[in-house]
Amino acid sequence: MKTPGHVLAQRIRDIGESGAFRPRSDALPTWCPGCGYFGIHQALNQCLSRLELPLHNVVVVSGIGCAGRYPFFSHTYGLHTVHGRTLPVATGVKLANPDLTVFAIGGDGDGLAIGGGHFPHVARRNIDINYLLFDNSIYGLTKGQPSPSSRTGTITKASPAGTFEKPLNATLLALTYEASFVARLFAGDPNGIAAALIEGVKTPGFAFFHIYTSCVTFDKTFKTWAHLKEWVHPLPDDYDPTNRRNAFEMALEDDFSTGIIYRRD
Amino acid sequence: MATVVDITVEVCGMAGDGAIAAGALINEALSRGGFSVLGFDSYPAEIRGFGRCVTRSRIGSEEIVAMGAETHVLISLNEAEARSRIPFLAHRAMVIFESNPPTYVHHDSSFVAELPPDKLLFGMPLSDLASEATGATRGRNLTALGGFAAVCGINPALFIEVIEKKFKSKGEKVLHTNVKSFEAGYAYAAKEYSEKREHAFQFPELLRQDGKVMLSGNQAIGMAALDAGLKLYFGYPITPATPIMEFLAAALPKKGGRVVQMEDEIASIGAVLGSFYAGARSMTATSGPGFALMTELITHGVMAEIPAVIVNAQRGGPATGLPTKTEQSDLHAAVFGGPGDSARIVIAPTNVSECYHYTVKSFQLAEKYQTPVIVLTDFYLDNRVENVVIPRASEAETRNGNVFPPASEKGNYKRYCLTESGISPRALPGMEGYIFTATGLEHTEKGLPDYSPEVHTLMTEKRHKKIASALADLPEPEVYFGDDRLDVGVIGWGSTFGSVLEATRTSRKKGLRVAALKITSLSPLHTTIIQGFMERCSHVLVPELNYEGQLANLIGHLHHRPVVRLNLVTGTPFPPSMIIQKIEDLIHGEAA
Repeated sequence: MKTPGHVLAQRIRDIGESGAFRPRSDALPTWCPGCGYFGIHQALNQCLSRLELPLHNVVVVSGIGCAGRYPFFSHTYGLHTVHGRTLPVATGVKLANPDLTVFAIGGDGDGLAIGGGHFPHVARRNIDINYLLFDNSIYGLTKGQPSPSSRTGTITKASPAGTFEKPLNATLLALTYEASFVARLFAGDPNGIAAALIEGVKTPGFAFFHIYTSCVTFDKTFKTWAHLKEWVHPLPDDYDPTNRRNAFEMALEDDFSTGIIYRRD
Repeated sequence: MATVVDITVEVCGMAGDGAIAAGALINEALSRGGFSVLGFDSYPAEIRGFGRCVTRSRIGSEEIVAMGAETHVLISLNEAEARSRIPFLAHRAMVIFESNPPTYVHHDSSFVAELPPDKLLFGMPLSDLASEATGATRGRNLTALGGFAAVCGINPALFIEVIEKKFKSKGEKVLHTNVKSFEAGYAYAAKEYSEKREHAFQFPELLRQDGKVMLSGNQAIGMAALDAGLKLYFGYPITPATPIMEFLAAALPKKGGRVVQMEDEIASIGAVLGSFYAGARSMTATSGPGFALMTELITHGVMAEIPAVIVNAQRGGPATGLPTKTEQSDLHAAVFGGPGDSARIVIAPTNVSECYHYTVKSFQLAEKYQTPVIVLTDFYLDNRVENVVIPRASEAETRNGNVFPPASEKGNYKRYCLTESGISPRALPGMEGYIFTATGLEHTEKGLPDYSPEVHTLMTEKRHKKIASALADLPEPEVYFGDDRLDVGVIGWGSTFGSVLEATRTSRKKGLRVAALKITSLSPLHTTIIQGFMERCSHVLVPELNYEGQLANLIGHLHHRPVVRLNLVTGTPFPPSMIIQKIEDLIHGEAA
């Protein structure tokens, strides 16, 4: 017999009121409908629930941009900083209280442009921070300018003739910078992200999650859902993430392969 | 001590001559001898460039608060470099220099030949003496000190004592070389100048004084941070703040803390905010160029109400400016720098002892008022040494200033709740039931972004009320010397205050109605007290080491007539004599 709806509803309410695993905050995300960040949000919530981390021992540090708003939508301690400074602030939080689980969240502009100078140093310091880079190759919050990971020739209002710069490969950078854990992921696969997050959180040291996602409002040509779905594919079954040389090769030559690219033994 | 002693001794040489080491020994020996000592070194920004090193030590039987303009004893270890010091020599100053009689003195090259005839010359074959005594010339700086002690009648035992203390750890051989070099100089000068020294300045009998240490402003700041329970230091190398990082790098790990050299100043202040957010005392120190980079995050601390402690050790500016010269031109940046209405706390110590106590206090202030606190020093204050009683912080000074939310707010916590004082109790990550997000966006009491006119108006007012209420915990301006009516009131801040104090003392001895006001809290300002002082003055004089008159700009409007500005951008400490001259000009009706 089917459980009646009102009984189910009561059970859901009970779980909600117990507050045990409710990593989603009461605030509704301000992201556009169809934004890839919803998938990442779901994945991080899943990770927190599955790891059964007490939420008051979790801190989400963010910068500025659409991704920067993340802490408001998370029922954890949050620190919404200024543009590009997510990683140094997260460093301070983690060193001050190593019992906290610290997530740093930012977009490609925040992390690779204005904050690009911090990335190598925080990675090589190998402080136990989990850094999620939401990479949609566009500045969304300022309404569609090119980012450091935009492909050459990207046309926007700020680059009507197309960009001339080469795009940055965040996964490759993280490997170069000596990150202890590097995963490349896809916002359309929350379960995959959650699995990698769980691994990364458990790995001591600096963990980097490069997450491909789509800006449905300002990018109609490059990282669209249709393209990403077509391009993204899992790493080969026999891939060994503990081999750094392999990881470089994978990062360079097959830059839409997803999964755990590197994990220091 | 019947004789009043107030002399300035200078050691001048090339980098490598040991001038700085010799100066430090003079400071140490005469501090032990019971004098008040203030020492300041000047060195080039280039490690191996022009290389002139000058140490100046002012030694007094009464409290010394400033550097004198004139030099009474010049110890030259290098003629070419010493030549530049000739204009600063006092009438009948003594000059101890390297000479090898009966060598012919060549007029074109000898610095001695350029000295005015009133100077008292004490030539010594420094290199030969050191070499004869030890087999090497390296100790010739100590030989010169021996000469100085003999000529000025200082008990050599005092010097031997400090030489032993300084070189003991470097092994028997080094110690022996230094002691022998000193003794050779002492013996030579005692014999050679037994008659001539009667014309020289003679120190009265020295009284032993223990319990005082030679301490620089930077060392005092480092010690203060340790005593305040610092957990983390984040910094980036920059003159003149680097010694604080180096001091803590050695000392902090022993207390369980950690020093992390960051990739830039932005990262440093970012990590400081992160640490305080998570409840640990942390600090960074920088100078003007680094401070400029920090300003955005400093205002983030203001907006998100996160404590931070930042030392800004000012140097000459703007931009890279004069890295090894002193200036007070970051006051505007410290008080106003950064976007928005971003009131913060700025304290400027005026001497080494205040460097210690205000640094200790800054942690508590930052916690209590949940805002960045800037300790504003300058090159001269950071690097000068004073002999002070070893500073100790009381339990009240080091006590944690955090205000935590009451249990009743558990589950319904408003991080930025509006209160009478503007202070909202602050939870720390790890506390159950008080989850919130700190943000640099304008926000509601709960901490959610909100740009409505009401919220921004109320929250801006809250942040400013909070800073205004900090006035009660900040050091009040201090008036030096009474009198109801004053012809001139001199207001000083930072390292310049010592010069103001000395100038005021000297002018009063001449019978002039003058007084000094020391302002150490630059933000918020004790306007009532400052105004009260100004009202008693015919003229208000504000000497500062900057061109724009930055303190005058800050407080000038409090006076009913324009304050008189006295500005110097020489890169050197403010000479009291210039302030005295200005006071006299004002009183005698010269154009202000």
